[in-house]
Amino acid sequence: MAVLDRIRHEVERNALRTRNGIRLATGTERVGVGQTPKDVVWRAGRCELWHYRNPNVTVSPPLLIVFSLVSRSYILDLTPGNSFVERLLAAGFDVYLLDWGVPDERDAQNRLEDYVDGYIPTAIERVRELSGADEVNLLGYCFGGVLTLLHAAHHPESPLRSLTVMATPVDFRHMGPLGEVFTTGGLEIDSVLDENGNLPPRIILQGFRALTPIAEVTRYVNLWEKLWSDQYVAAYQAMTSWSTDHIPFPGAAARETVDMLLRDNGMINDRLSVGGDPVHLADVTLPFLSVLAARDHIVPEAAASPLIDLVGSVDKHELRLDAGHIGLVVGRTAAKTTVPKIIEFLLTRSEVAR
Amino acid sequence: MPDPRPLWRQAFDSAEKFVGPKLESVVRTDEFARVTALSFQAQAALTRRLNGVTAKLWHLVNLPAGTDVLRLRAQVGALDREVRRLTLRLEQEQQAHRVEERTDDAPDQPDGRPGPHPPRGGTQRAADS
Repeated sequence: MAVLDRIRHEVERNALRTRNGIRLATGTERVGVGQTPKDVVWRAGRCELWHYRNPNVTVSPPLLIVFSLVSRSYILDLTPGNSFVERLLAAGFDVYLLDWGVPDERDAQNRLEDYVDGYIPTAIERVRELSGADEVNLLGYCFGGVLTLLHAAHHPESPLRSLTVMATPVDFRHMGPLGEVFTTGGLEIDSVLDENGNLPPRIILQGFRALTPIAEVTRYVNLWEKLWSDQYVAAYQAMTSWSTDHIPFPGAAARETVDMLLRDNGMINDRLSVGGDPVHLADVTLPFLSVLAARDHIVPEAAASPLIDLVGSVDKHELRLDAGHIGLVVGRTAAKTTVPKIIEFLLTRSEVAR
Repeated sequence: MPDPRPLWRQAFDSAEKFVGPKLESVVRTDEFARVTALSFQAQAALTRRLNGVTAKLWHLVNLPAGTDVLRLRAQVGALDREVRRLTLRLEQEQQAHRVEERTDDAPDQPDGRPGPHPPRGGTQRAADS
C-alpha cells in the first residue's frame, strides 16, 4: 500500500512538474514585480524619483531609498506580500525611491560626483519640497549605500535625519573574483566597456556567477526538485529574473570605482575624492545604521564589516544578520528580522503620529 | 532518522560539497584573475583590430565607419551629461530658493523655532510598473 501511495504521489508531482515546466519554458505566467502603486515625482535623464502611495503616513521625516547602480530596483518591491517597500509603507513611512533607470551612451561619462553631488541632493530637496519635511531619512542599498555614504561625507550640511546602508562594501579587497580581475589581473576597464562606453551587464553577471561557480547548477537542481510547487516556481521566477537582470554600469563611474574603490581601496585607506574634493567617511556624523548579511556572497561580511568603525557618528549601530545578499530584503529572514530592525531604527529617529 | 531527500538529491549534494569548494578556491586564485584579465584584453585587442580594418575599408569609399558613429555618440553623450549637470544645478538653486521662501513665510512657533511647512504638491505622473 505504501509503495502504491508513493507511486501515486510521484506521478502527481511529475504531472505538476510538467505543467510548471511548460509554464516556465513558454513564459506564459510571468510574475508581476514592482507592483506597489507609485508616482514619478521627478525625472532627470534616465533617473526617476518614485513616490509610493500611502494614505496612512504616520512617520516623519520621509524615507528616501537610493538604489544600486548595477541592478534593478524592483528587488525592493518584489511581489505583493514579499516586498520591503510594502512593509515600510505598512509601518507608516512616506517612502521615496531613487531609481537610476537603464544607462545608455548618454550616461557613459557619468562620474560618481554626478550621483553624489547632483542626483541625490536634488532628489532630497524634491522629497523635502513634496513632503514639507525639513529633513529626510536616507537609505542606501548595496552600491547605493556607497553613493549615500559619499554624499553624507561630502555634504555634512545635507538635511538628513539619519543614514542606513544595507549590504554596502567598503573593503574592496574582499570582493572576490570580480574585483581581483582588475586588481591582481590588472585588467583595464576600457577593455571591457561596450560600444556605448558602459560596463555591460553580461560582464557584471559573469563576475557574480564566478563568485559561486556551481550555484547555477544547484539552482536548476533545486528547481527540478520543487518544480511541482507553484509557490516555489513563482518565487524562483521572480528571483531568477532579478538576479540575471543587471543594467549597464556607466563607464566613467565604473572607471572611478575600479581606481578609487578597488585599486586604492579608498574607503579603508581614506583616499576618497568626489568632484576633485577629498572626502572622509569620518565626516559622516549623523545617526547611522549599517546592515550586513553574514552569508552574503556578493558583498561578503569582511567587505562590509569595517564600515561601522570608519564613520564618525556617535549614534551608530551595526545589524549583522544570518542572511544572504538578497535575503536582507526578500523572504522570511527579511520579514522576520531585517525589516523590523530597520523600521525600529528609523522609528526611533523619527516622529510618529499616534 | 532516515534522510528525507531522494537518492539522486543526496548524490548531487555530496558531489556539490566535494566540487563546490574546490571550484571556488580556483576562481579565487591570482592565476584565475590573470587568465581572465588576459582573455578580456585579447578579446578587446581583436575587436579593435577588426574595427580598424573595417574602418579603413569604409574610409576608402569615403563613408563613415561604425567607430566614427560611436565617437559621435560619445560626444553627444558627453554634451547630454553637461546639459543634465547644468539642469540639476539650476534645479538645486531653484529648490534652495523655494525652501528659503517657505521658511520665511512659515509662522514661527511659540518657542521661537520655525513653523512647520505645508506639503507642496508637485506634478505627479503615474509610474510604469
